[in-house]
Amino acid sequence: MSIVCSDLSKIYEGGQSGWPALRGVSFEIKPGEFVAITGPSGCGKSTLLNILGLLDEPSGGRYELEGRSVSEMSDRERSDTRCARLGFVFQSFNLLNRLSAVENVVLPMMHAGTPDAAARARARELLCRVGLKGKEKKTPLELSGGERQRVAVARALANSPRIILADEPTGNLDSVSSREVMEMLVKLNAEGITVVMVTHDRELAARVPRNLRMKDGRLEP
Amino acid sequence: MRALLNAAKTGLAEIRRHKLRSALSFMSIAVGSVVFMDSFASIISVNDRLREQRRISGVARMEISPNYDQVFSDPDDYKPPPVIKYEDARRLRSELSDAFMVSAESGSEINVLEYGGRRMVARLNGVTPEWAKRDFTYGLKGRFLDWNDVEKNMRVCVLFRKAAPPPMNDFEKTQAKRWDYTRAFDDMVSRNDMLGRTVKLNDFTFTVVGVLQEPPESERPSLILPADRDYNVLAPVTTLGRYGFLNEEWNSVTIKVDAGDERAYYGTLRRVENFLRARFGAVEFFDIDKQMETINDTIAASVKNALMAMSLGMLAFIAGGIGIMNVTLATVFSRVKEIGIRRALGASRGDIMLQFIVEAAMLGLIGGLIGSAAGYIWGVHAKVMLGMDASPIRFWMPGVSVAIAVLTAFVFAVYPAWVAAGLKPADALRTE
Repeated sequence: MSIVCSDLSKIYEGGQSGWPALRGVSFEIKPGEFVAITGPSGCGKSTLLNILGLLDEPSGGRYELEGRSVSEMSDRERSDTRCARLGFVFQSFNLLNRLSAVENVVLPMMHAGTPDAAARARARELLCRVGLKGKEKKTPLELSGGERQRVAVARALANSPRIILADEPTGNLDSVSSREVMEMLVKLNAEGITVVMVTHDRELAARVPRNLRMKDGRLEP
Repeated sequence: MRALLNAAKTGLAEIRRHKLRSALSFMSIAVGSVVFMDSFASIISVNDRLREQRRISGVARMEISPNYDQVFSDPDDYKPPPVIKYEDARRLRSELSDAFMVSAESGSEINVLEYGGRRMVARLNGVTPEWAKRDFTYGLKGRFLDWNDVEKNMRVCVLFRKAAPPPMNDFEKTQAKRWDYTRAFDDMVSRNDMLGRTVKLNDFTFTVVGVLQEPPESERPSLILPADRDYNVLAPVTTLGRYGFLNEEWNSVTIKVDAGDERAYYGTLRRVENFLRARFGAVEFFDIDKQMETINDTIAASVKNALMAMSLGMLAFIAGGIGIMNVTLATVFSRVKEIGIRRALGASRGDIMLQFIVEAAMLGLIGGLIGSAAGYIWGVHAKVMLGMDASPIRFWMPGVSVAIAVLTAFVFAVYPAWVAAGLKPADALRTE
């Protein structure tokens, strides 16, 4: 599943002419690649990831996912694509605290229309895979930061996505948990999943085969 | 369907999480349900009473009696109303052969009835067999008066046996003792089997050919205009005239006419007026009580009251709906992050809208169910305990009430749900 961006721009409203977060970003990511998008805070990394994840729309330029321009997609198609082909891992986990770990993992499968029993079975299997066996019924508030992020990874894998988009996945974790999460992402990439990770951690970025460095909304050459 | 079930599951969880907020929403919708059910019941009640009125009392009725309230400026202009005699009623009957009823009636308030050595006061009414055509809800033992009794001035009578009165407090008992001057008669009829016995009325011997049993309060039909039940003794109207029970000068016969059909009412009224004009020279000598108009006025007033109650119910529903809208908006704004997460995980705008609409509809559903139950308890039990008539609750009323509650919640949840669905996933995710 390839990602092709040409001259992407994003201007946030505000001020007289708005605030440009992205200024003509162009790149391509081939299926199975592991790419780190790095750069200082406010350089537009997360904005780019949101656009790649169909959570936001670019103000200009062209974004093609698997050969199809996303600007031509309806809301339903974008939702279906997010559901079936993309998996998200966020810095702040973004789990629903009132649901148990297993219920959080079931959520994307619920939107995909997976039968309840099958979804629960797969959720348990994924939690086991990320090392959370026995903690399925715990709510995020009862888990450590590292465990929460593992639930988030399990949730990202729920619908067997082709791309995982991770926004500062280790930003809120201690060094041990960070290493574990990173290893998980590397392992997933080894299984053929494309991973796009936003990080400002140079050490982490150094472990990723391809880095896209951003500055002031542009990709550095 | 699965999405709907999942939305319902989440909705239930939200209701459980925010118990007070949900309870207030239920209450606001439940109040609307109660008022709506009560007003529905009022309209049904008017309809039921009208149907009973048609069946038992008829609605195309008029009553002709002498008019003692004529307007005149010069004392010499006053002419006392002429006496209507039984013969006039007979003539009118032949003129109105197609009418359902032409009943000649007369009355004498204070009469002395003797039986078994006891003297008591009894009200005496002179009637014909036509009397029994309307308002006849009594049990009859023996027979009623027939045309032979009327034509031959027979000294036969039918006695009224009153139903047991409702329980009275001490004050009511004292008042009844003081003012109910026919109480001894009522006691006598209730304690003796009077059929076939002879009684003396103002020294004339009468044979009791029938006894009418008044139905108990609970079995009496509910009518728009309640029927007159103040009777003791019924005898042929001709007999009362023949034996001097009626003062010729004052005790004019009253004629009750029932056209039988509302469409025939005004035609019959015109013919009655023509008859009175031809027979007595002027219609103004008589007071024609147009019962159909009274009934129609009463129905209109009842319907107006019911519609007012229904509009209050609608207002209560709207208030409840605004409450639900407020709660749903508050829910949306407190769950912006969740909306962002769900959108990131694949929920479409439609899914988010459905989620909030289903949650609001569940508030409406539960509120409607509570309101329907409360409406039933209020209409069937509480009202009776408070001394009012029970509301005629029909099986479909709770269903309609719940449906309106759900519909109200649905309508008022559309805007908040639309707001929720319109949130951009990236913006929603950024919210803390």
